[in-house]
Amino acid sequence: MIEVENLSKRYGEVSAIRDVSFQARPGQVTGFLGPNGAGKTTTMRILTGFMPPSSGRAIVAGHDVFTDSMEVRRRVGYLPENVPLYRDMTALGYLKFIADIRGLRDGRRRAREVLERVDLVHRADSRIRTLSKGMRQRVGVAQALIHDPEVLILDEPTIGLDPFQVLELRDLVRVLGRDHTVLFSTHILSEAEQICDQVVIIDRGEIMAQGSPQALRSELESGRPVVLRVDAPLDEAQALVNALPEVERAEISADGITATPADPELDPRPAIARAVLERGWALNELRSVAVTLEDIFLEVAGSHAPPEEPPGDAEAPAETPEEDEVSHA
Amino acid sequence: MHSILAVFRRELALYFRSPVAYAIAFALLLFLGVLFNGFIAQANAALSFGSGIPADAGFAPNLLTFLMFLIAPLLTMRLLAEESREGTLEVLMTLPMHESSFIIGKFLAAWAYYSVLLLLSLVFYALQSFIGVPDAGVALGAYGGAWLYGGAVLAITLIWSAVTEDQIVAAFLGSATILVLYLAEIAAIWIAGQGSSSLLADFVRELGLQAHFSVTLAQGIVRAEDVVYFICVIIGALFITTRLVETRRWRA
Repeated sequence: MIEVENLSKRYGEVSAIRDVSFQARPGQVTGFLGPNGAGKTTTMRILTGFMPPSSGRAIVAGHDVFTDSMEVRRRVGYLPENVPLYRDMTALGYLKFIADIRGLRDGRRRAREVLERVDLVHRADSRIRTLSKGMRQRVGVAQALIHDPEVLILDEPTIGLDPFQVLELRDLVRVLGRDHTVLFSTHILSEAEQICDQVVIIDRGEIMAQGSPQALRSELESGRPVVLRVDAPLDEAQALVNALPEVERAEISADGITATPADPELDPRPAIARAVLERGWALNELRSVAVTLEDIFLEVAGSHAPPEEPPGDAEAPAETPEEDEVSHA
Repeated sequence: MHSILAVFRRELALYFRSPVAYAIAFALLLFLGVLFNGFIAQANAALSFGSGIPADAGFAPNLLTFLMFLIAPLLTMRLLAEESREGTLEVLMTLPMHESSFIIGKFLAAWAYYSVLLLLSLVFYALQSFIGVPDAGVALGAYGGAWLYGGAVLAITLIWSAVTEDQIVAAFLGSATILVLYLAEIAAIWIAGQGSSSLLADFVRELGLQAHFSVTLAQGIVRAEDVVYFICVIIGALFITTRLVETRRWRA
């Protein structure tokens, strides 16, 4: 369980995060979503006790991160961004080292167990510097898991992995989410959509939206235009739909007919379907314009943007890991 | 305690795998060997004139304390600078371990490696025992003193490793600091020569490292104040280093 209340962090004049509040529940993967520099890493560093907040409160696994840091650290597994590891150690040696610092009994056995969990036993005795990026990432995850923590905090764990490794890691995170509280940051929207039970969207240090991806989507879907394709002349269909009281306006678009609902709370699709069928036309397609997390993100981030910047500016989050590699190099 | 031990073990193992550490040991023994050779030749020549020179049991520890302005920064520069540059500090500082355990583990590893160097230099005492009768009391004082001296110097240079992420800068500043503290005695003599208060001169002299070693411990004279001085320097320097790592993290 992670409970964050009005957390703020200032570096001198600059505010890294402002009034951040959210919750991450056990048995769920909570996605922490936002563009680079939005404050994800800062928040995670506060939650792991790496640095103190300027104000606000955070309770992780039942302990306050500021007043009870050691207790929190005992219960949290953390994978920092860029996965810092000792390159001169072997994977097993490194995990044993972490286990010893944590004071775990039988550190070597624990180290072997987590290596098995991340499927890396065959490279246990390789020096970390000789491991591939994906393997190092898994050593990092193993490090975070070694004490079987209640809470797992993973900062952009899929950055720089090849697509196959990304899939593997997502699977691992999803499995871990079943019996841990997982907070997982990413700037890749589709990733959050795929593996998270709950999403917290952060931009420029402020929480913009939170909820399950489905809830966020349905919230945004209300009032969204619907698209209609029928087996009939376009202008006749347009006139028919336009005449419905549930529809404010219908236009001919590339997809067919796009109708804007009169009342955002009321889905116009049943009325449209009935009208079309009454006319005896074949209804080929009737759908709400699909909303992805990306739309939600653009919407919340866009509405937040200062006027001089067009909303399109929010495309800053790179969709591909490759692009990100460059910016991190 | 277990975290101190874990950090200590890792760092000590790293010294014994690091080419730099072996290079230091090699250069040190070579240098001491050459000087020792000259020392023996001189003693031999003096002997042929019928006058012996006493074997200085503190030969190796004396030289070693002088060379510490080069050795200590090389041993400690990496310890903390690398951790913050590589980001590995972030993982360690989110483990249930206090900063001080981490610093103490690192320091003890450096000190342990230095102790190995000191033990290696015992070979010269052994050689002296073969050809003469060195004063065992002096040797005990000098070796024990050099051990404390080394600990103090390593602790001071470790501070610089916490200050900067750049190992070269850390080594350079560490070296400069130790040289200044080594030469404090000369500064004190100069201050006294200026005719100003002898209090200031005394203070500067007592602040320096050599005042607590060359005229006391190295001569086999064990004074409590010298031992206390070195222990205080070690504790004080480690405290400062811990605070620096804390603030570095808080600002990160």
